[in-house]
Amino acid sequence: MRKFLAILAAEFARSLSQLTKRGSGSALPGLVAQKIDPGIITKLAAKLPGGIILVTGTNGKTTTAKMIAGILEQDGKKVVYNFNGSNLSRGLASILIQHTNFWGTKMDGEVGLFEVDEATMPEIVALLKPTTIVVTNLFRDQLDRYGEVDKTATIIGHALELAPDSKVFLNADDPLVASLVKYNRNVAYFGIDDDYKTLSKGAIDSRNCLSCGAELTFNPRFFGHLGNYTCPKCGASRPTLDYSLKNLNFTVENSEASMITPTFSEKISIQLPGLYNLYNALAAGAITEYLKVPKGTIVYALNNISAAFGRMEKISLGDGKNVFLMLVKNPTGFTQTIETLTFDKKPKNILIALNDNFADGTDVSWIWDAEMEIIRDYAKKVIVSGIRGEDMQLRLKYSEYDMSKVVLERDLKSALEKGIATLASGETLYILPTYTAMLELRRTLSNKGLVKGFME
Amino acid sequence: MAMKIKIFHLYPDAMNLYGDLGNIITLQKRCEWRGIETEVVNVKVGDKVNFAEADLLFMGGGQDSGQKLITEDLVKRGPEIKAAIEEGLPALLVCGGFQLFGHYFQTKEGDKIPGISIFNAYTVAGDKRLIGNVVVDIAHTASEWQNQFKGAVSGNIQTTLVGFENHSGQTILENGTKPFGYIIRGFGNKGDGGYEGAIYKNAYGTYLHGSLLPKNPWFADHLIMCALYHRYGNVESLAQLDDTIEIAAHNAAIERSKTARTVSI
Repeated sequence: MRKFLAILAAEFARSLSQLTKRGSGSALPGLVAQKIDPGIITKLAAKLPGGIILVTGTNGKTTTAKMIAGILEQDGKKVVYNFNGSNLSRGLASILIQHTNFWGTKMDGEVGLFEVDEATMPEIVALLKPTTIVVTNLFRDQLDRYGEVDKTATIIGHALELAPDSKVFLNADDPLVASLVKYNRNVAYFGIDDDYKTLSKGAIDSRNCLSCGAELTFNPRFFGHLGNYTCPKCGASRPTLDYSLKNLNFTVENSEASMITPTFSEKISIQLPGLYNLYNALAAGAITEYLKVPKGTIVYALNNISAAFGRMEKISLGDGKNVFLMLVKNPTGFTQTIETLTFDKKPKNILIALNDNFADGTDVSWIWDAEMEIIRDYAKKVIVSGIRGEDMQLRLKYSEYDMSKVVLERDLKSALEKGIATLASGETLYILPTYTAMLELRRTLSNKGLVKGFME
Repeated sequence: MAMKIKIFHLYPDAMNLYGDLGNIITLQKRCEWRGIETEVVNVKVGDKVNFAEADLLFMGGGQDSGQKLITEDLVKRGPEIKAAIEEGLPALLVCGGFQLFGHYFQTKEGDKIPGISIFNAYTVAGDKRLIGNVVVDIAHTASEWQNQFKGAVSGNIQTTLVGFENHSGQTILENGTKPFGYIIRGFGNKGDGGYEGAIYKNAYGTYLHGSLLPKNPWFADHLIMCALYHRYGNVESLAQLDDTIEIAAHNAAIERSKTARTVSI
């Protein structure tokens, strides 16, 4: 009865909030429902017959979740998915209520798929009781919000302890993620089995053995602290891969590899650049293989996936001109993203938009750890913008950019105009924005009628 | 013959949490642009180095795991570092580095992690994490810089520092210890908006990262002056650089500190 009242009140709240146009109505119904029935999330989640998948980690959550959803939907499964990343518990309650019938006895969907912030993992795991969890990687990210990366690992570890029956997919190439096995032994490892070598120096990434503290040896290192590692002192090493990628091949916009799983070996060719997107594809492929999706379906869906909202989004301006939105959130992601821009060795028009709002991380120190030097010699024109545009301009000066090619335009709209104005026919403006800058730039492009609705 | 300074970077792998590399890059570039050579010596746990050869010492902040890895090694090196600082070796210690250059860090559980007692100061774990943009008034310190090298100066010294703090430790200065400056906006050593950092001879401790030196070029240049003096026994005024972009970032950070919210959680 309590559940019924909760759903009824939530639906009422949704109608009201949409009617009064106060927000999209995404959090309020959940908030109301949880007030009436605090157990609402657990009750509704238990009614999803195909179980619940959680995706967590620093980088790649949204894209990995999107890929998993794409594969499952291609397989004909209805997925209940927090695609807008609303992963506070009230947001989850709202999403689940949206997908239930009036009496809360049945869910309109088979599989739950939720992208979860590292810090909220214990709470969400306790509420949703997931059947499958994937941890993509752990990099330093917006330390002002999450604390330090070791603490993040411990938080995720505690969450994994709360779900002893879940199957946990861990990135074997990330020593910190791989070490999470100590919290939950029911794991499968994924990683790269290739001699890919990064241009980045990765100076900021701690690469010490978690068992004995000695410096790990990488052969090779893929990026950041990810790679095929061994400890010269205690002999600890990367776990054996259950799922892997071989024969990597990249262009600025695409990437290819052979995906090896316990049941198949198939070539994938995804419309997203960079090794980190291949990691996302591998994680998505691994989980769906485990869920017994046929290999043809997995490969087809991966090959046809487009990027998650603003993360790697190519937008045509007509006249053969394009903008390419590439979200940047932390130094390793930034370094990786600009490294993909060097794959074709062509000069680039670039717009970097650095905001320091809460969702971006209020501390901009991290730009000094991003290896801006990597694209210096490929920069035709760089426009720096955003609330901390001056900081980025300074970063470029100390990376020895030719400052006559660098323009500061604090206002994002004007910066976008200037950036587009630099393009000749056939050229692309590569935009590297932090999160809130990405939202504003995308809104501007949307107002020009160049991208579909604000939310996907 | 070109002048040269040797920068010892303590534990660059374990203590590099908040853009600390930006400080090293700034020292290197500002020397390079003036024709001064730099050599950065990365000092890791167990490395055999002679601190008498250093002209400038830098240590950043780390995660708890990083600090654990290095504490024992640092304490072993303590007397040698102390001797060099007494001889006038300039040093910049940020956040965790600042804490470990005091007497000790007392954890929430009451354990005392030993430091190397360069600063007559100690740190206790606080209940809250203090996070946000900081503006510090360093007028007093800056006026001493003006007179430190018998008329040789490092250029246009401004009287503020900008940066970002993120610490839960509260660092209390004991009698006679000079703070680096006084908080205009932010929390500071004790979280009370009072003093910030500490100075002993040419060693500067601070909670400011951001990175600190790029946006505060006058402080970077003062450290370079100290390093040259330490090496050569005398120093001339530094060649002027065009700091328009540095000052724009400094001023933008001051403006931002007026509107950005700070957090104590």
